[in-house]
Amino acid sequence: MTFNRLLSRAALVSKVGSRSIFQSSKRDMTNPNWIRVGLAFGTTAFVWGLLFKQRSADEHEYRVRNGLE
Amino acid sequence: MWFLPEEAKALPPPSVFNRNSMWLALTGGLASMFHNAINHKPPLKSGVHRLVLLSSIGWYIGYHVTKREIYHYAKIDRDMKEYIGLHPEDFVAKEKKTFAEIVEPFIPIR
Repeated sequence: MTFNRLLSRAALVSKVGSRSIFQSSKRDMTNPNWIRVGLAFGTTAFVWGLLFKQRSADEHEYRVRNGLE
Repeated sequence: MWFLPEEAKALPPPSVFNRNSMWLALTGGLASMFHNAINHKPPLKSGVHRLVLLSSIGWYIGYHVTKREIYHYAKIDRDMKEYIGLHPEDFVAKEKKTFAEIVEPFIPIR
């Protein structure tokens, strides 16, 4: 919960331990945080690339060690 | 990898499409859906980027889990074969009898 509080804008307004209802607002869900979305999809593509690279490296290693290449 | 010894590299690698990957990808997908549900958002329609990211991470980890599983069972098989080779007297093949030798002669009573 405190992690979300650090991320919310209200924590920037007042560094006091409590938040005032006059400064808080509901999160704006209609405009997505495109940077975060882009990072997420980019990381996804990276992870899939890692997976396929690992698979081809394993295949190559298997062929080399068993004398099939 | 730090969790697999060198000899495991001589084993055939698993397919990218394996059971542990599917299960962990499902786990990641469910985690993202629960995260949405806890924050009062529609579980599947919101945060598709999170769903896709967590599922992909689950799939990747599942691939390595499968590699470890294959190594585990291959080691057991190799040790078993080695033991059978060292103790052949315990693993004598039973001599096979044909059915003609076992079955009693048929004497029809009509």
